[in-house]
Amino acid sequence: MTDTPDLEALRREVRAFLAAEAPTGWRDASRTQDDFVRTQRDWFTRLVSAGYAIPHWPAAFPGGGRSLAEQKVIYEELAKADCPRLLLSFVSTYHAFATLHECATREQQDRYLPRILEGETWCQGFSEPGAGSDLAAIKTRAERKGDVYVVNGQKVWSTMAQFADKCLLLVRTSSDGPKQAGITYLLMDMKAPGVSVRPIHQIQGDEEFAEIFLDNVEIPVSERVGEEGKGWAVAQATLASERGLTLMELSYRMRGALARVASLIREHGHEDDRGVLRDFGELVTQVDAVCAVADQFLDNRIKGIERIGDASIIKNSYSRALRAYAKLGLRLGGIAEQYVAPITFGDLNTGNWMADFMNSYAWTIAGGSEEVQRNIIAERMLDMPREPKAWVA
Amino acid sequence: MIELNELTDAAQKAFPADALSPGRDESWRLVAEMGWLMVRLPEEDGGLGLDREASAAIHFEMGRVLATTPLIPAQLGLQAVLASEIAARVEWLERLAGGEYAPLHLLPAKLEAAPNGTLSGVVGGVFDADMAMAVVAKLPSGYALVPTDAPGVSIVERAIWDPSRRLFDIVLDGYAPDPALMLTDADGAAALHDALAPEAHLAVAADCLGAANAALELTIEYMKMRRQFDRPIAMFQALKHRAADMKARIAVAEALLWNRVRDDAATLVQCGAAKTLAAEAFAFVTEEAIQLHGGIGLTEEHPIHRFMKRAMLNLQLCGSPDLWNERTGREALG
Ligand SMILES: Cc1cc2nc3c(=O)[nH]c(=O)nc-3n(C[C@H](O)[C@H](O)[C@H](O)COP(=O)(O)OP(=O)(O)OC[C@H]3O[C@@H](n4cnc5c(N)ncnc54)[C@H](O)[C@@H]3O)c2cc1C
Repeated sequence: MTDTPDLEALRREVRAFLAAEAPTGWRDASRTQDDFVRTQRDWFTRLVSAGYAIPHWPAAFPGGGRSLAEQKVIYEELAKADCPRLLLSFVSTYHAFATLHECATREQQDRYLPRILEGETWCQGFSEPGAGSDLAAIKTRAERKGDVYVVNGQKVWSTMAQFADKCLLLVRTSSDGPKQAGITYLLMDMKAPGVSVRPIHQIQGDEEFAEIFLDNVEIPVSERVGEEGKGWAVAQATLASERGLTLMELSYRMRGALARVASLIREHGHEDDRGVLRDFGELVTQVDAVCAVADQFLDNRIKGIERIGDASIIKNSYSRALRAYAKLGLRLGGIAEQYVAPITFGDLNTGNWMADFMNSYAWTIAGGSEEVQRNIIAERMLDMPREPKAWVA
Repeated sequence: MIELNELTDAAQKAFPADALSPGRDESWRLVAEMGWLMVRLPEEDGGLGLDREASAAIHFEMGRVLATTPLIPAQLGLQAVLASEIAARVEWLERLAGGEYAPLHLLPAKLEAAPNGTLSGVVGGVFDADMAMAVVAKLPSGYALVPTDAPGVSIVERAIWDPSRRLFDIVLDGYAPDPALMLTDADGAAALHDALAPEAHLAVAADCLGAANAALELTIEYMKMRRQFDRPIAMFQALKHRAADMKARIAVAEALLWNRVRDDAATLVQCGAAKTLAAEAFAFVTEEAIQLHGGIGLTEEHPIHRFMKRAMLNLQLCGSPDLWNERTGREALG
């Protein structure tokens, strides 16, 4: 679509900023975790000061209050300039922001939101070894002792936990009644005594997530979000941000990264191979449609319309397109892709096709698996009956 | 300005969801009465002057009820006359807006010109030619109105699997084109084609998605009602997941359709891509729908097969998915 004059001006402004400051060579500078973290922190700081890091936040924050159309322009330009995706601050600017903004006290918001812009990073401590899709089955215990909770247990798959300052922590404060009723939401300091973190090695050689062990960790009661036993509802705000909002940026990035497939087609001399062109065309349309559905979702959200299940549709469509993208690259790349090449930490569309393929599972598993999203679409949108609960081994 | 939801409400009242494929001639009269034949005719030409979004919304509702009335070829025929400079343009537009029918053909024409300029061969893909007074056909010398009662013109119905529509060939045998009815010359034909093709793609895409939604609704309803193993089959997760995928395919194709309908800068290839995605989603949904109905899905008496048959025909209209995927790929390659 053609831009209005205001949007055109914004686009020019973003382009000028990117021309001057977009990091080059960051892929080569993100080959080790340490380098990756340095690159990430540096780029986040620069984006914050330019006012492009948090376009989805309210206008009270510098760089916030952008309209949907403005957000789109920003994401499009960032994707075109092939800037690093902000993985390190991903949970901070989306999950932590949404949770604090929607559910926390004024005091908690004032304390934590500005610090995010100063570079404080968050991780999400929801999943446990025994509680994945069945998140409400968490066992990590918090016992109230005076004005602190004493927490014991284990979290797993916590993205970037090894670098995080703070954690969105889901704990059990009661075992009575339905599983959901005994859950409480806490904000935990990752430097607190009793917290230890062990990175998990992933199949593509990355260490994106980590285990968190909690041994008598004391968390002040003032760090609770919502009431005791009401944490499940707060957790829904966290999860909703992951399924909906983030996918707009990622969809636009994937659209930008279609150019990688195009270069592969040219490199291998497939420009006139009709089979290849068809498969590429199909992928292009699939990605365009994911962008359109993400746009529509945000557009509705801004108008205050959000139907249960919409985010599940976007998530499943995005993750399937991402898998198709990686697989087409893998197929066109041929045997060359079976030789190990350096990976780029934290990026989803890197052009290292085997790594991208493996990484694409992150989106069919994390944040509620593809199957769980299908349950939501079927039961909550199409109103199909739930399975009987009782099961005896 | 008529609001979109008013249009949709009116359509749903006139064509209720429980009456699939209502009779063609009554539907045509109703459609003419409601002014839908002149939706895209500008106000200065006596029409409603509505945009693409409005016509797409109507075609969506027509798809939902598997309408038998040929609104899409009628709209395209009118737009072809509108874009022309023939002497009798005003009279023709009046007649078409008032309920006469001159459809654009939606499949290729295979014609040969004799040395004396007369034409012989077949103009394919004419819906409901039996009620047409003329057909907008692409002749070697340009687009033209070909009166169906002219000497050398005959109409031949081609039986199709889709019971909701009727398709004809126009057979020309030594037909001498009337110069007064030439809508373009040979050079102008490409331009007119490029102007009409996006409209055709978006209209067929809307038809597909309206119908796909209806097919999904019918299927879900059936799955909730049909019991096996002492429970509704809708409780089986293997089936729920298939239903969820049907819903997702429709939702994504719809988002792309409305995005391109509203984007005046969308290219022909982008509109072809939106149609391809919509038609593929429709075909996928109806293919699954029959399986999920079990044996009853294979019976004439149950309506679900009619959706599948419309889907298969729609896939082939305006060029095949292979063609448009290839063109999309080529365009994206730059
Ligand atoms: C890259 C990545 C990052 C992550 N980051 C975080 C994070 O920062 N913080 C955090 O707390 N967690 C995080 N997670 C964890 C994530 O939320 C869980 O992995 C996810 O919810 C699935 O749980 P599970 O791994 O235990 O799989 P399981 O729940 O054991 O699932 C195994 C398989 O069974 C299927 N299945 C399970 N239940 C059902 C059902 N009811 N119906 C149909 N199929 C079912 C699943 O779809 C899957 O295919 C992350 C995961 C990944 C992959």
